[in-house]
Parts: sequence; C-alpha cells; structure tokens
Amino acid sequence: MELLYQNAWLIPVLPLAGAMIVGLGLLSFSQLTTSLRQAVAIFIVSLLGTTMVLSFGLLWSQWHGHPPYLQTFEWAAAGNFHLEMGYIIDPLTTLMLVIVTTVAFLVMIYSDGYMAHDRGYVRFFAYLSLFSSSMLGLVVSPNLVQIYIFWELVGMCSYLLVGFWFDRKPAAEAAQKAFVVNRVGDFGLLLGILGLYWATNSFEFGVIGDRLQELIASGSLSVGLASLFAILVFLGPVAKSAQFPLHVWLPDAMEGPTPISALIHAATMVAAGVFLIARMFPVFEGLPGVMNVIAWTGAFTAFLGASIAMTQNDIKKGLAYSTISQLGYMVMAMGVGAYSAGLFHLMTHAYFKAMLFLGSGSVIHGMEAVVGHDPALAQDMRMMGGLRRYMPITALTFLVGCLAISGIPPFAGFWSKDEILNSAFSANPALWVMGWSTAGITAFYMFRMYFSTFEGKFRGNETALRQELKAGSETLAPVFGPGAMNPQELTMADPHHDEDDAHHASQPHESPLTMTLPLLLLAVPSVAIGFTGVPYANNFEAFIHPAGEVVEHAAEFDWTEFLIMAGSSVGIALIGITLASLMYLRGQIDPSAIAQKFQPLYQFSLHKWYFDDVYHNVFVRGCRRLARQVLEVDFNVVDGVVNLAGLAAVLTGETFKYFENGRAQFYALVIFGAVLAFVVISV
Amino acid sequence: MNIADFPWLTFTILFPLAASALIPLIPDKEGKGRPIRWYALVIGLIDFAVIVYAFYTQYDFANPELQLVERYSWIPQLGLNWSVAADGLSMPLILLTGFITTLATLAAWPVTFKPRLFYFLILAMYGGQIAVFAVQDMLVFFLAWELELIPVYLLLAIWGGYKRQYAATKFILYTAGSSLFILLAALAMAFYGGGPVTFDMRSLALKDYSLTFQLLAYGGFLFAYGVKLPIIPFHTWLPDAHGEATAPVHMLLAGILLKMGGYALIRMNVEMLPDAHAYFAPALAILGVVNIIYAALTSFAQRSLKRKIAYSSISHMGFVLLGIASFTNLGLSGAVLQMVSHGLIGASLFFLVGATYDRTHTLILEEMGGVGQKMPKIFSMWTTCSLASLALPGMSGFVAELMVFVGFATSDAYNSTFKVIVIFLAAVGVILTPIYLLSMLREIFYGEENKELTAHEALIDAEPREIFIIACLLVPIIGIGLYPKMLTQVYDAKTVAIVARIRQSVPTLVARAPAHQEFAQAEVVYRAPAIAQK
Repeated sequence: MELLYQNAWLIPVLPLAGAMIVGLGLLSFSQLTTSLRQAVAIFIVSLLGTTMVLSFGLLWSQWHGHPPYLQTFEWAAAGNFHLEMGYIIDPLTTLMLVIVTTVAFLVMIYSDGYMAHDRGYVRFFAYLSLFSSSMLGLVVSPNLVQIYIFWELVGMCSYLLVGFWFDRKPAAEAAQKAFVVNRVGDFGLLLGILGLYWATNSFEFGVIGDRLQELIASGSLSVGLASLFAILVFLGPVAKSAQFPLHVWLPDAMEGPTPISALIHAATMVAAGVFLIARMFPVFEGLPGVMNVIAWTGAFTAFLGASIAMTQNDIKKGLAYSTISQLGYMVMAMGVGAYSAGLFHLMTHAYFKAMLFLGSGSVIHGMEAVVGHDPALAQDMRMMGGLRRYMPITALTFLVGCLAISGIPPFAGFWSKDEILNSAFSANPALWVMGWSTAGITAFYMFRMYFSTFEGKFRGNETALRQELKAGSETLAPVFGPGAMNPQELTMADPHHDEDDAHHASQPHESPLTMTLPLLLLAVPSVAIGFTGVPYANNFEAFIHPAGEVVEHAAEFDWTEFLIMAGSSVGIALIGITLASLMYLRGQIDPSAIAQKFQPLYQFSLHKWYFDDVYHNVFVRGCRRLARQVLEVDFNVVDGVVNLAGLAAVLTGETFKYFENGRAQFYALVIFGAVLAFVVISV
Repeated sequence: MNIADFPWLTFTILFPLAASALIPLIPDKEGKGRPIRWYALVIGLIDFAVIVYAFYTQYDFANPELQLVERYSWIPQLGLNWSVAADGLSMPLILLTGFITTLATLAAWPVTFKPRLFYFLILAMYGGQIAVFAVQDMLVFFLAWELELIPVYLLLAIWGGYKRQYAATKFILYTAGSSLFILLAALAMAFYGGGPVTFDMRSLALKDYSLTFQLLAYGGFLFAYGVKLPIIPFHTWLPDAHGEATAPVHMLLAGILLKMGGYALIRMNVEMLPDAHAYFAPALAILGVVNIIYAALTSFAQRSLKRKIAYSSISHMGFVLLGIASFTNLGLSGAVLQMVSHGLIGASLFFLVGATYDRTHTLILEEMGGVGQKMPKIFSMWTTCSLASLALPGMSGFVAELMVFVGFATSDAYNSTFKVIVIFLAAVGVILTPIYLLSMLREIFYGEENKELTAHEALIDAEPREIFIIACLLVPIIGIGLYPKMLTQVYDAKTVAIVARIRQSVPTLVARAPAHQEFAQAEVVYRAPAIAQK
C-alpha cells in the first residue's frame, strides 16, 4: 500500500506526459500524428485509465482509515524563504481524484464518437489530457501556492478548449471572456494568499487557520482584516465556480465542444471553487462574517441561475445556468458549515450533470444530421421535440438526470440536496426559503427541457421556424456595436446553406455506442451514489469531514423531521414538474401567453438579468476608453515633450555653436568645472 | 596552462570582437551572405559554449563574492584597469546574453541586405554586451555601455523599417544623453574624498560617501538606467526603436539591452549607494507600479503588433523595480529572475512578431484575422509564448512575479497602507496583461479568415528553423517555471548578501532580525504534528 502512496505523483504526471508526447508530435510530425487519430485516443485514454485505477486504490485505502500522506520537495528558495511543493493524499483528495478521473475517462470515450469527424480530433485529446493533468494536480495540492498554480492551469485549459473551434468568432470571444473573468477572481485569490501569508507566514491550510485564530485571539490581527483576506481568497472560487457577480463567463463557455462542457464546465473545473472552499475551511470556519458572505452568495447564485435557466431556448445554455444554480447550492452549503453536504452534492452533481451535458451533446449530434453544423439551430430546443422515438437511450438517461437534479427520491440528487436544505434551515430559514424555491424552479426548467426536447412531435424540419431562428440568432449575436446589420442580408448571402440541406437526413439518429455507453455508465451513479450518504447511515460524512473535527454520530435519527423536510422539497419539485408537463407536454397552459403577461419579468430572465450588457458597457468599454486615453497622453504629452526638447536642442545648438572656438583646454575647463561643482555641492 | 588561470571572461568578450574583424575576408560568391551567417552562428555557438564551460567548471554558486576575477593594468596613469569578474548578479545575465545573441544570429537568417556589415555588428554587440555585465571598473563599464550603443544605432538605422532614421536618432540621443550621467557620477565617485583615484567598483562601494553625495549620484545613475530599463516617463524611445527594428535586433533589444538597465541599477544604485537606496526605494516602487499599469493600458490601445509587445516589455519591467524596492531576499531574487525570464519571453515574442510580419507583411491588427487556420504552428507558438508572458504558472514569468509579490508583501520596510496600495495596483496589472495579450491573439488568429489578407499573401506555416528557435527559448522558460530553484540557487548567495547590506541602511530594520527568522523556526515545530508523514 505504501508503494501506492509513494507513486501517487504519477496521477497528475501520466496525463501530462500523454499531452506532451502528443503535443510534440503535433508540432514536429503533424501529418503523421494527425493521421493516427484513434491510436492517439487509445494511448491517452489508457493513461487516464491507469490514473483512474490508482485513484480508486487510494480511495479504497483512505476509506479503510489509512492516515493522510504528505510528500513535498523544496521548489523555490531565496535566503530563508522556502516554498515546498508536493502532494497530499487525504479523504477529500481521493474523493476528488475519483470524481475527476471517472468523469474524464467517460468523457474521453464519448469524445471519440462526438469528435469523430472533426479535423482537430488529435489536438482535442491532447488538450483533454492536459486538462486532466492540471485538474488532478489541483486536487492533490498541499498548499495555497500550488493550488494557485494549477488553478491558473485549469483556467488555461478551459481557455484553449472553449476556443477549440477557433475559426468561430463567438468561440474566440467566449474563450477570452472566460480567461479574463477568471483572472479577476485570481486577482482576489492572489491578494488573499499574499495577505494570509503576510499575517501567518504560511501557505498551508491548517497552519493558516490555526495561526489566524491565535492572532485574532491575541489581538494582533483584527477580525475585519482577517475576514478581508478570506473574502479575497473567496473571490477565486466566485470566478471559478461561476458565482454572482462573476458568473457571466460560464454560459458563454458553452461555445466549446460539448464533451468539454460536460467535463470542465459542469463536473470538474467549476467544482474546483467548492473544493478550494473545502480546503480553506479551517480558515473560513473561524470567521462568521465570511461564512455569511459565502452562504448568501451561494443562495443568491442558486436562485439567479435557476431564474435564468427557465427561459433559455439553447439546450446547452439552459444546462449552463442550471450548473451555476447547482454550484450555488454547494457554495451555500459550505457557507452554512455543511462541509460534507456540499461535497456530497459536488459528487452527485458531477455525475448527473456530466450525464445531462453528454446527453445534450448526443441530442445536438443527432440534430446536426438534420439541420447541419449550425449551433443556432442544432442547439435550439424549439427545433427539437419527439426525439425519444429516434434516440431512446439518450432520452432515458436524460430523464434519469432530470429526476436526479430535481431531487426526486431515490435518485442521487435528492439525498445531497436534501442534506443541504436541512443544514440551511438550521442555519437560517431565509436561506432555506431561497434554496427551497430554487428547487421548485429547478424541477420546472429541467422538465421543460426534457419535454420540449424528447416529447411531442419533431419540429426540426419546419423550414419557416428554421429561418426565423437563424435570423433571430444573427440579430442577437452581435448585440453591441456597429456589427448588427439587416439579418435578411446574411441569410440571403449564404447560398451554401440550402445546398447543404439537401444532403441532410430528415430524421435525427441515435448516437454511436462510444457515446451512449458513457451515458449509460453515468446513469448508474446518478441513480445509486446517493445511498452512500443517506441521513440515517451517513457513510459519506464519516469519510469526508473537516480536518480535525470528529463527527458526532447522531444517536437518534429523527424520522419526523426528515420526512417534513424531505416532503416539502419533494413537494415543490413535483409542483415544478407538473407545471412543466402542463405547459410543454399537454399544452394546457400556453407558455407564450404567460410570457406576454409578465413581459418585463420574461425579458429580464431571457436577457440574463442584463448582466452582460451592463458589464460590457461599464467594464469592457470603460477599459477600452481608458486605454485609448492613456495612449493619447503617452503619444501627445510624454512623447510630445521629448520631441519638443529635440526642437529646443536644435535651437539652442544653433545659438551655442558660436561658443565653439576649437580650444581643447576650454572644453576641459568646462567639464572640470562641472565635476567640481558636483563634488562641492554634495560634500 | 591551468584552466583556472585562463582568462575566460576576457576571452568571451574579445573572441567575438576579434572574429568580427575577419568578416571582410570571408568569400561570398552569391552575395547573399550565406557563408557569413554560418560563420557568425558558429562563432556565437563557440562563445556560448565557452561561457557555459567556464561557469560550469569555475563558478561556485555558494560564493557571493566575485569569481573568475581577472585584472590587468590598462592605463596606469588614469588608474584604469581592465578588470572583469562575475558574481551571482552578472553570471545569469552573461549566460542569457550568449544564449539570446546566438539565437538572434539564427533568427537573422532571412537578412540578405548588406550581410557583412550586419553580422559584423551582431558579433560586435555580442562582445560589448558581455563586457557590460562583466567589467568591474566604472570607466570601462561606461566605455562598454557606450560602445554597445553604436551597433544598435546602425542596426536600427540601416535595417529598420519605414521610420528608422527617426527611431535610431531618438534612441541614440536618449541613451547617449542619459549615459553622460553615468560618466559624471562615476568621476565624482572616483574623486570623492581624496585619496588615490580608483574606478574599481569594489573599492568604490567601500568608500564612505556623505548622504547628499549618495543621493545626487543615485539620481544620476537612476536617470541613466531608467532610460534603458525603461522607467516611465523616459520610455518613449523604446516603442519607436522596437517599432522599427528587425526581428533579430528586436530580440537583442528586449532580451538583453533592457536588462542592462536593471543590472546596473542593482549593481550601482543598490550595491554601491545603499543609503540613498533607502530614500529612493519608495519612489522606485511607485514607478514600478506606474510602469505596470500605464504600459499595460497603452499596450491594450496599440493597434500595431510590434508596439503592443514593446509596451508589454515596459510593463513587465515594472516588476523588476518593485523587486528592487522590496528590501527582501525574495523580492530581489524575483527581480533578477524577472530579468532573465523576460529576456527569454520577450525575445521569443519579438521573434514571433518578426516571423508573422514576414508572412502577413502588415503589423496592423485590423488587417489580420483568422490566420490561425493557415498557420497552426505559428498560432500554437504564439499562444504558448503569450501565455508565458501573461505569467501562466509552469513558466518562468509566473515564478518571478509571484516572488516579487510575496517579497513585497512580506517586506518590513514599508507601512501596511503603502504596501497594500502598491500590491493592489500591481495585481491590477495581472488582470490587464491577459486582456491585451488575449485580445491580440484573438484579433490575429481567431475568427474567420480575412479574405483581403489571404488574397495576396501566401501564409506559409512555420519552418523548422523557427520552431527550433522557439523551442530553444521555451526549454528554459518552462524549465525555470517548473523548478525555479534551478536558477535561483545560482544567484541566491549574492542577492542575500546585497539585501543584508541594504537592510543596514534602513534604521528601522537594523534593530530587527531578518524577516521571519523566528517564524521559520516555528514552522518546523508546527508541521510535525499537523500531518503524519509516512
């Protein structure tokens, strides 16, 4: 067993090696490497498979009570400053390792089918491997600096993968937006790390927490300052886990290929924020003000995401806002001190949301056969409908995902969400109300998604609708600036489009086995994994709990309380589902009529609370204007003075040339005089 | 002859100079300079190999004193000595010089206009640059400093772009004008206080100057080196010079010439005039922050690729200033690391600018767009180098900036308010850098192909020579990023010695023990029970 721990460094290194080998191959022998395709995929998948086996071994060992293991080496030193890097294996790490490796493994298998016809197939696998490596490095980090390093690296992978189809303009913009918004969070994280280091002289989580408490107790550090540092650190998770007000990058990041949305932007990377809060728990725990900020940020984000997801028509955007909302739950759980409940939801969410995204990818894949490679059409739910008949496996797994996320027992999401709501209720009923009502909205929008995608009749061949959506997407896309033109021009100026249509099938098809198999495999944990953390025998909590705290085994499990709490959350979920079925399955309520009735609210939700517009006008334009002004100052004022000096020099030179008399002694005298004056003044 | 007695540094300086004198004798039948460029490349490689060998066999990392010392009396009547040596401060920069100049020679492959003169100047610069870092005599330092300006002036004025005359004149006026202050301050220091006149840097550093004198001399040096580094507002020569230079000259300008300013600032201002440094350091910190933010904003607004990268260089040099002003081992170590790191990253970015210009024949961002589809290799190299420049972890720039940040944050020479403001503003630079670099990438490579551009330019992807140059630069960038101790241990003894000296000049710091001595002790105790190490 010790051998396993000693070689745990292989976990991040193996995928890195794979990425490096394939990357170098692409640069030096691009033709050959590109033609290898599936050989490359098998190589990368098998490397990740190995790390998955290692991770399971470590989880098994930790589950059986092996003490945490730390291995470090000196990474940087200057004088008496020493910075160590290494890896730590403890329950939290092994949990994350298993989540990341299993989801990544299945997503890679899925990608073989999804990306089969893409030119960038090999590059895609190299990026995936690089991402897995960074993410695994992040979860084994023993200190804040190493977390920061891998934190940025996963951000870079996200940048590369969102911009994977770099010939698409929206993808390029989304990639940049994702990176820059995350940098804003990293800015806070960096300042927070520096502040905490200044105060405690340590980068290690436990040590920082202990010393901070000592310093506060002894009065040498005010609570306000300590809280400020902690909130700055929290800015990192706010950006990475797409919490209000830095959530704006995540929906745009859906421009990347769908397997990426599943792996990075639903299951793993965005959960890194929650992971960091868990790691920093010893620090946050002792600062009630910070815990409140965290809880309310999470609760508000949960509601915000759900309220926007209700009206989105793009299936991936809808899921993206749903992810934001679910991450809000996790953050809220952390904020109310429900450490293991938050991580439990992280785990269940990782599986069912990955499955939902892969399912949406399968839908898009099927739709593309009918409408062509146009995200505006292939991802729009108004074009779908009745897909259950054409893609039964996808439909079934998607339904499982919907039930899980809506919190219907006994699916995984029920147990984890219920635990969070329970903790929120005992912390602050107001938080519970937000979480509880969000649960209802969640059930509504998920089943709206399910019904309009898989039930009813197929609308993909309605040409009029197609034209309308296409026109709509083109006016919507460049919302700002002079780019907006008459949408008709665009559709007319695109003659290939109609030719393309001729080649398309009139029916969508079920995806190949490499895509449906991961869906089926992910359905298993989505159904069953909740049973590890049932409230009457909580093995999960016994395994994952804050460092140094002993879980007191509740002697008596209160069935009445459990039934009331669970009943109320299942109840509101059922109301949501019923409403969705009345509107989108039976058609007894007309959704557009409601939208008409509450036009301002509908527009507010449809336009994502206008966050993008406000940010664009304030920050993007503000920054551009400021930069332009600085440049003008630089050119006109600073450089202007220089050029003026040049002019003055010419003029004075013209004057002084009459002093030139050719006598060297005179020049020497002048220099000597200057030096003498310099010495005299200074003595 | 014993290899320890061989004049290694003198050889590395004089060898390229002597070799450049033989260039007129090389036969070149085609007139395209092919034999000449091979000759220059071989000379560069030999010299670089000698540098590496000399340091490998003769240099001891743990020793903070000068090593490989050579000293010959040159003009005894003036007290002028040819004295060269290397310590932790100069040794990494001498290595960098050999490395970058050799790669620049390889990068100059497409230069066919007046090849003899071109390679003559490159080799002359090679020797001149090493001399700047190696000489230990103020007067010779001044001569070397001036000597290296002439090749740059000519390289700009003859092979430059459309506004080359203006740029070259501006460059020479700026740097030559400001370097007069070096001469002035050096003479004053040599004649100060009577006694035998000496220009030897070590002897000058030991002299006991009055504070007023130190402040005056410091100001003089600061102006001269501030122009070179550059420090805003003395920077306007740089965008013009960079905007007009060809790629290999670019690499030298960004890779080495800017580092001379930082090197001399540490060598003279900090090491020789520590008392004045205590007064000037807060100003340096402020100037550093101004550099970081001001230049990042101007870079964002620039529409020309070359000028954009030129301003990004200025922005990165701000971290050098911050590190110098920090009064901590970590900060100064980060400053040195930032110089080396930017030398590598800046050189790679400017090389890529040249490579891109060779294909698109335009530098205006609006005239490009979507070129990533035809040139995927250039695209990936650009992405990697830009990420390195925006301080992505795993690359050297990140380590340097992190060290400066942590160093400044833990500095006990400033009060908390000042530190908080400086660090906060410097961290804003961390947000601005990706904004301008990623926007630049997006405008060049992403999106649909620019039909106007592809209609008349054949966009050929990178050739092996170009990939090789970038790979050579990326190896140390990533190597240092993954394991920074590799480089920091080389000069650590030296920076620790310098910091120990300057800390004595700050009255409030003298009483206190070096920062974190007691915490460092405590940490060991702390860790033991925290996690049982198996």
